[in-house]
Amino acid sequence: MAIDNTGICRSCQVEYCGAALVICRIFLQAGQERVNNAVVPARPLPLIFPCTMENPMSFARTASAVVTALLLCVACERSGGNGEAPVVYRHAIDGIPASLDPAHAANIYSATLVVNLYDTLFRYRYLSRPYELTPNLAATMPDVSDDGLVWTIELRENVRFADDPAFPRGRGRAVTAGDVVYSLGRHFDPATRSQGAWLWRGKIVGLEEWIEAGANPDRRIAGLHAVDNQTLVIELTAPFPQLAHTLAMALSAVVPREAVEYYGREFGVRPVGSGPFILERFDESRAVLERNPDFDRGALDLAAEGLDPQRHAELGLEPLNGRTYPFIDRLEVHFITEPTSRWTSFVAGEVDNVMVPPEKSGQLLASRDPLRFRPDIERQYHTLAEPEAGFVFYGFNMANEAIGHHPDEDIDRANRALRCAMREGFDWQERNHTFYHGLGQVFPGVIPPFLDAFDPSLDASSTDHDPQRAQRRLQAHDWSPETLPRLTYGLEASVHQRQMFEQFRARMQTIGIPNERLRHRAFASFGDFSRAITGGELDLFLIGWTMAWPDAQYALQMFYGPNAAPGANSFNYSNPEFDRLFERAARLEAGEERAALYRQLNEMVINDCVHIGSLSRTRLHLWHRHVHMLPDREMLGGHFLRFVGIGAAP
Amino acid sequence: MVVVDWIAPLIVVAYVIAAVGVWLGLWADGWGEITGVMWAAPSTDHWLGTNRLGQDILLRAVAATATAFEIGLLVALASSMVGGLLGAVAGLFNGSRLDELILWLKGTIDAIPFYLFVAAVAFALQGHAMAMHLAMIVVFWTTTARVVRAETIRLGQSGFIEAARAGGSTHARVIVRHLLPNLAHVLLVQATLVFVAAIKAEVVLSFLGIGVQDSISWGLMLAEAGQDIMAGQYMNFLAATLFLFGLVMAGSLLADRMQIRLDPRTRNQWRTQIQ
Repeated sequence: MAIDNTGICRSCQVEYCGAALVICRIFLQAGQERVNNAVVPARPLPLIFPCTMENPMSFARTASAVVTALLLCVACERSGGNGEAPVVYRHAIDGIPASLDPAHAANIYSATLVVNLYDTLFRYRYLSRPYELTPNLAATMPDVSDDGLVWTIELRENVRFADDPAFPRGRGRAVTAGDVVYSLGRHFDPATRSQGAWLWRGKIVGLEEWIEAGANPDRRIAGLHAVDNQTLVIELTAPFPQLAHTLAMALSAVVPREAVEYYGREFGVRPVGSGPFILERFDESRAVLERNPDFDRGALDLAAEGLDPQRHAELGLEPLNGRTYPFIDRLEVHFITEPTSRWTSFVAGEVDNVMVPPEKSGQLLASRDPLRFRPDIERQYHTLAEPEAGFVFYGFNMANEAIGHHPDEDIDRANRALRCAMREGFDWQERNHTFYHGLGQVFPGVIPPFLDAFDPSLDASSTDHDPQRAQRRLQAHDWSPETLPRLTYGLEASVHQRQMFEQFRARMQTIGIPNERLRHRAFASFGDFSRAITGGELDLFLIGWTMAWPDAQYALQMFYGPNAAPGANSFNYSNPEFDRLFERAARLEAGEERAALYRQLNEMVINDCVHIGSLSRTRLHLWHRHVHMLPDREMLGGHFLRFVGIGAAP
Repeated sequence: MVVVDWIAPLIVVAYVIAAVGVWLGLWADGWGEITGVMWAAPSTDHWLGTNRLGQDILLRAVAATATAFEIGLLVALASSMVGGLLGAVAGLFNGSRLDELILWLKGTIDAIPFYLFVAAVAFALQGHAMAMHLAMIVVFWTTTARVVRAETIRLGQSGFIEAARAGGSTHARVIVRHLLPNLAHVLLVQATLVFVAAIKAEVVLSFLGIGVQDSISWGLMLAEAGQDIMAGQYMNFLAATLFLFGLVMAGSLLADRMQIRLDPRTRNQWRTQIQ
């Protein structure tokens, strides 16, 4: 930061930093007088501040002037450059991102930030339900060949990466189709340790050969290449209708090669993208993002985003229509894992939104069926109560021969009986009542109710709490306290997670599994917990799966053999018949045949007792009335944050 | 005065009985079982009500007494032994390199923030159940050693130590036969203080999630209470707080009385007061 004689702050280009100049002048004058012991006319200020210091005696005063002037300049800068207070939105989330590298953005916490720092080719429309894709970095929706194998994607023009020292002269450059190729390709470089490679593995022509040849980004991938700076072509080995959805995920965000190479291992905390915001600060407590001045996607078209005047009337979005987004100068994302702290921060006005902790629901809801907030709460805050686009469930590590797959058929059957007994011993209704406001929806399998493939007629006995049946099953397979394996239950260190473990253990005790056979292992962060799952260190774990696209395939791929850890198949479930049917379904367009296959796959997961589940939560959101948004993170991840408006309450 | 003198020991005895009963499996064995509904009010079935999961709060508080005693006793015993021995050695060899080494070690350990140290030890031991115990022993022996060293230096100036040395006693014999018996009152009082401090530290660490891992503790109950209070439920908080307060207060009073009664410098004064 520097101020010249014209009074322009060189950093922020603010015209009025006169106060800094005046103070500087006074200090310099006083110093000059004292040194010479006589009144001496002030020297003209040098062209660039800080002023030159010919006389060492004036150093302290000059230094004071420098500091004061810099502070004033910073103040000018923070005021958005026009003397007005910056528009800030403070968003609270319930977890801490381990990395901001798109290749590691496999969870909602990282994805929330990544999609605001980087661009994805597509995104979901802000307000449309059911969810609909729309171009983002892409100029239009993809042009797909008749056989579904060749995808041509045009990129927007004049999209730039943010300025960063990684670029020559620190000036960001245009985003090209080559960057998309590089960004997808780096998932297959072992050094990247990508958590998203499984999305595209085996699906792109020539990709396997390219990987085997060393995944050299300078070598061309036969089926993934840039025709020119704006045109990308992807050739698939088989039809993959969900490809566009994968290109809306944070994992597919476009990164510049220069930054990846410049920052190396630090790239995860030094993001350089073309998204609506630039990272200013990132630590364990929060991330501060500033508006990217080079980001220009035109004006917000609420009709195109799916505005329903009736359904969205209360949100106060209309004044934002036709204005260029993002509408805020600064986005602060606060990581507050403890529900109590999150609630108190919200009530104290330290953050602008909250996902209501279950403990508070009784005090906020007027009725649960139909779901309605109390009138005074609705007057005070914006409210949202919507089922999540995902679910929670317990998974078993099928790679552990003590409870999972076993080459010996008899032991394999006994292991299955143990898993099924644990499933029958667990009580989902109790869990729902205790931890999810009693508003969650328990369903069998892994196809949640909001998907087309959900089968309401599916036998729900796999979600029943039936300890007697569980005990009979254990006895029939000669399981006793002495023969039961010692299992490690993983959890992220928090009061809720620990209580859930105690509840689970208590239920297992009622079917004859002693406490000492079920030990828990706590992890300080979700990232550590996630790594332990993929590393096969845990036998049993409770996880939430948020759908990244509205198709059952996204849930079922968790059980697809080639997706084994570190891919999405954290259970290491291996069933050739499942894989065969899954591959068949993956090539099909939406329709009855695909839905039938999905249902068949779902039943296989249920019959093999690979998981204990599932429950789809209903999330209750509150946000202050001066904030205008629809904070639906379910499918959108953090994409909605670019549309947040701050203003007077409607 | 005499009544007040007996209150603290009586309370401590009550806690000891509670803890021993848990260890023997006589009561509070089912502290983890779900025996009621969510947040049930106090009743004859659940004297202090139930928590969020429907577990009996009184059972959990009593079971946590055993946890507190286990940690308090183990840490007090171990840190008194280590601190007593190293303090006596440092005092006996006052001014030597060995003394300097022990002082340096004490200073170094004292310079590390306690909770940071415990977290580091817990991480290094990969969440081992004894990580917290070990960290506390490593930290708490220094205070005992400092007091014992000072007392040893004072005793060393007494004639009987010199007489024992002149009589050909080895250093080990001097420490075991002459010094430690004369340091017993110091060690006893210090052990009581460490016992109380260890219980308080355990509660704080468990509250923070780096303490007790596979058992129940007042700290864990307080952490749960933080969520319960949002829903207007206070029994978890009250039970854990009162149980902790009772033991810490009684332990501190007991340490004070022992100090007065066992220290030769104050013992006679106390007797005169009693008479």
